[in-house]
Amino acid sequence: MHPLNLDGVWKIVAGGVLGAAFGFLIVKSKIAWRKTLMDQLFLKNTRFMRTFLASVAVGTIVFYFFNKWGLVDFHARPTFFWGAVGGGLLAAAGLTLCGQIPSSTIAAIASGRLYALWVLVGMLLAMPVANAFSRWFADSIGKWRDPLNCQPTIESAFPNGGVFWIAGIALAACLFLEFATPDKEEE
Amino acid sequence: MLAFFTGKWSSYLAGVVVAFLFVLSLYVLNDSIGFSDPYLMISSYCERSIEIKRMDAPPEIDWQTAFLIGIFAGALGAALAGKEWRLRILPEANGKNALASMGATIATGIAGGFLVMLGLQIAGDSFLGLWSGALQASTGAWLFFASLLLWGIILTSTFAILKRRGSTSGDGESEKGK
Repeated sequence: MHPLNLDGVWKIVAGGVLGAAFGFLIVKSKIAWRKTLMDQLFLKNTRFMRTFLASVAVGTIVFYFFNKWGLVDFHARPTFFWGAVGGGLLAAAGLTLCGQIPSSTIAAIASGRLYALWVLVGMLLAMPVANAFSRWFADSIGKWRDPLNCQPTIESAFPNGGVFWIAGIALAACLFLEFATPDKEEE
Repeated sequence: MLAFFTGKWSSYLAGVVVAFLFVLSLYVLNDSIGFSDPYLMISSYCERSIEIKRMDAPPEIDWQTAFLIGIFAGALGAALAGKEWRLRILPEANGKNALASMGATIATGIAGGFLVMLGLQIAGDSFLGLWSGALQASTGAWLFFASLLLWGIILTSTFAILKRRGSTSGDGESEKGK
């Protein structure tokens, strides 16, 4: 067994259909709304974190078996410690200000939240700057040593059931948030 | 069945559907999901159009651009089906006058969007790409999300404390004035 790996027009059509499914889901899960991510950062409402952890609890197991059966291949960018940590810091600063990620920005605009257009402008302005900054980053911080000597996947670092540990911890964290956090309010 | 599309979804249902969609995307496209490239393409297109002072020929559509268009269409469909489509120019009422709110919305929107995209580019993938990476147990994706959550909470708390102190000292001054 192997991945379907569509090509040409069919790949474009599949991209559109999957995009529509993700767009639908982003609105249904409320990730499209600025409030959801802002409330997550203020720890007022953990809806985003619960969605993320539930997806991890199920997705890691599904991916593990599909990968084992040859249906899907590993497709994630190579690990670069300082890039991931520094990128997380900058993205967190941005999220604190605007409460939107690229996909939620598009979904918010489609749902009539025109204020997200300013976020889109900021994101488009960042692209040329990111290119220049990435070159500087690669020549300076990119040469720093990885302090944790990270493996490409957690599974390669913990070969004896690492994936099941991730799923188990995500499920436990999900249950903890469900019962320990006071938020259940809907928009 | 119709209620599934028009009703509200719990975070767990959304999480399970996200998980299956990511795996389905990997199976169908055999590629990392995300759309940094269309953003780069739109950005270069705008830059080129400004340079030549007219609209340049539109770039060719690839699967990532179709994905971006699909997100717009899917979100529009979900908002209409769930009666959640609302025309809003400002995020929420915050007690300020409309002009001040508009200024703050523009400033925080542009600055925030800029920082989010810069951070994602440095991390090397789009947000959905990193989410998909987390499901594949990618160490880089997990480092990114750990950093994002940690710094997000620290920065938000710091802003909240500074804002509260600012408003408290402001109240103090107004009290003195009385």
